Amino acid sequence: MAAATVPLWHCRSSRSGAKKMLVLGFDGMDPTVVRRLIGSGDLPNMKRLADTGTFTMMRSTIPPQSPVAWGSFIAGADPGVTGIFDFLHRDPKTYTPLFAQSTTLPGGWNVDLGKYRIPLKGAEVKLNREGTAFWDVLEEMGVPATVVKIPTNYPPSKSGQRTLAGMGTPDVMGTYGIYHLYTSDEEESRKDLTPNNVFYAYIDEQGVLEGEIEGPKNDLVPGSDPMVIPFKAYVDRAHHSARIDVGGQEVLLAEREYSRWVEISFSLGVPLMNLTGMVKFFLLECGERFRLYISPIHISPASPALPISTPESYSKELADAVGLYHTIGLPADTKALSQGAFAMGDFIDQSLSVFAESRKMFAFELDRFQRQQEGLLFFYFSTLDQGQHMFWALNDPQHPYYHPVEAQRYGGITDDLYRQFDAEVGRAMAALPPEVPLVVMSDHGFAPFRREVNINTWLVKEGYLTMTTPDLDEQVSILDSADWGKSRAYGLGLNGLYLNQRGREGSGIVTAQERRRLLEELKGKLEALTDPQNGARVITHAYISEDVFSRDHLDRAPDIILGFARGYRISDSSPLGQLSPEVVVDHLNWWSGDHLIDPLHVPASFLANFKINRDVPDIKDIAPTIVRHFGGQVPAGMTGKPLR
Amino acid sequence: MATKVKLEKETEQKADAIMAHHGYSSLEEMVADLIGREYQQIQSGEGSKEELASKLSGLGYIS
Repeated sequence: MAAATVPLWHCRSSRSGAKKMLVLGFDGMDPTVVRRLIGSGDLPNMKRLADTGTFTMMRSTIPPQSPVAWGSFIAGADPGVTGIFDFLHRDPKTYTPLFAQSTTLPGGWNVDLGKYRIPLKGAEVKLNREGTAFWDVLEEMGVPATVVKIPTNYPPSKSGQRTLAGMGTPDVMGTYGIYHLYTSDEEESRKDLTPNNVFYAYIDEQGVLEGEIEGPKNDLVPGSDPMVIPFKAYVDRAHHSARIDVGGQEVLLAEREYSRWVEISFSLGVPLMNLTGMVKFFLLECGERFRLYISPIHISPASPALPISTPESYSKELADAVGLYHTIGLPADTKALSQGAFAMGDFIDQSLSVFAESRKMFAFELDRFQRQQEGLLFFYFSTLDQGQHMFWALNDPQHPYYHPVEAQRYGGITDDLYRQFDAEVGRAMAALPPEVPLVVMSDHGFAPFRREVNINTWLVKEGYLTMTTPDLDEQVSILDSADWGKSRAYGLGLNGLYLNQRGREGSGIVTAQERRRLLEELKGKLEALTDPQNGARVITHAYISEDVFSRDHLDRAPDIILGFARGYRISDSSPLGQLSPEVVVDHLNWWSGDHLIDPLHVPASFLANFKINRDVPDIKDIAPTIVRHFGGQVPAGMTGKPLR
Repeated sequence: MATKVKLEKETEQKADAIMAHHGYSSLEEMVADLIGREYQQIQSGEGSKEELASKLSGLGYIS
């Protein structure tokens, strides 16, 4: 695809009938909740869309995982075309799980200078998503597009359009967020919250805490320890406040206050080579107990250590306009709440802070879009998705993790968020003339996650997977202890089940002749699996991949996609091959809502200010709809159908 | 260690293409460099089970 030499948004359109279109992506917006809140008068702007245009459920992907669904949205095609079937894929030769969205390729050709190893060719991260992105089609047509916080596009694919990577973007450690917690509670400081950093907060007689923010290892010095940034906290317990000095900057915080972004710079020891990131401090407690949370080290959009946008300057342009903003793809720290570092109120405060930043960014881009003659604006929000994962149990007395006190105090937060998202829809509607198409969509809905399922334990108990040890517990993994010469199937990833196929798997035994019969047999047994606690079905559909996906990249797909019933999901231990004593157990965690189930139970939402040509659209239909709107030919690889 | 490895024709052609693309001066140099890179990756833990667990935990999907 040819890259434009002049950014498209600097070009005045020479074509008559210049067109515009706005698409809002609200991750996780559930159509059932939208319908209920429209009915109660809580979402006046979405109601206007429903009354005058369209509001309907939309088919998500199989499986309805965010990177899978957004990949289909981007390419206008099913996962067989995009090649993204799960958060995790696997190397069939070694059975090793792999991260599906991107691959890190090691650098090479190093030059050793004293203790430093200078890479002449650095490590590269490769985006594994296939298919043609809709903004690339628009680029070929000369239509400018601005695509903000788009998931499943890290590292950002080469483009002449403005794009900013969303979900999938790491922190400066290369992870999806490692936080620090300094606590004066000795018992809490001894908790193993790996990979996060928990330290005992030793505060001296002068009220000073000396701490460190641990960064990545210095790749220029082989074998070195992680780089650190020291900080001092001057703790005033009497006034419930603290001053934090870090990297020559002062941060004043009252108890329960969440700081501004603070840029920090790790010196690599070589002139002009620093690694810049940024953190927020959250003074959780500053009285009898002292607890200080430090956010994961985000890539600074003002001086990105790794490219997160196209052009590379775009992330800085946005930061100059609206201030520093979060860059990790899923920025609300759900694990801090799951692990007890946050209380529910802390997580809500952080989520609202993320949402406030997103709204500022959206307001800036919407204003610019208003002044453009033509083009597309896509803007993504993560807050509804991350919130519903953590808030579900607040409104679900049947959930084993239901806590009446928290439910009483915070039970209204989900509806509040939907109301705030409706206000963003209202902002968009007010800014644009009615002839500009507006689409408000999600990638999936939500369901309770009450009971968790270890599919590898089930496979062992059913005789499809043989282990070299009789133990069934979380210390035992199929990666270390499977007897592959006697195993016919295994589970890896969040919805994936694979045959141990001869000629494909490293030690495969299932022949090509046996394959289809075994798939049918497994499908039948999986769909008959019931919960011993209540007799309910655990899996409503076991989808055989070759029956439901295009074949372009079917070689990456699991052989069966597990479509769990509402209330069920894969367990925490199963995705990476660990076993557990029981197949189905209660799920006891604030991560209490989920969508990694049968897509029939968690349809996405579709709203628009225009009518569409079918009752139930599919997420892969939106990209072709965009291309058609701007007068383009829908590429052959886009298998979705235009909705107008 | 003077280990000899027999390559099939197709693999040999691929090796020639890689040598030409990256400018390796000999097959030995290419093999040594690729092994070094793979070793470096293993040592760094990139792609390890722990790293994947950290990523899934970071996303929130496992705790």
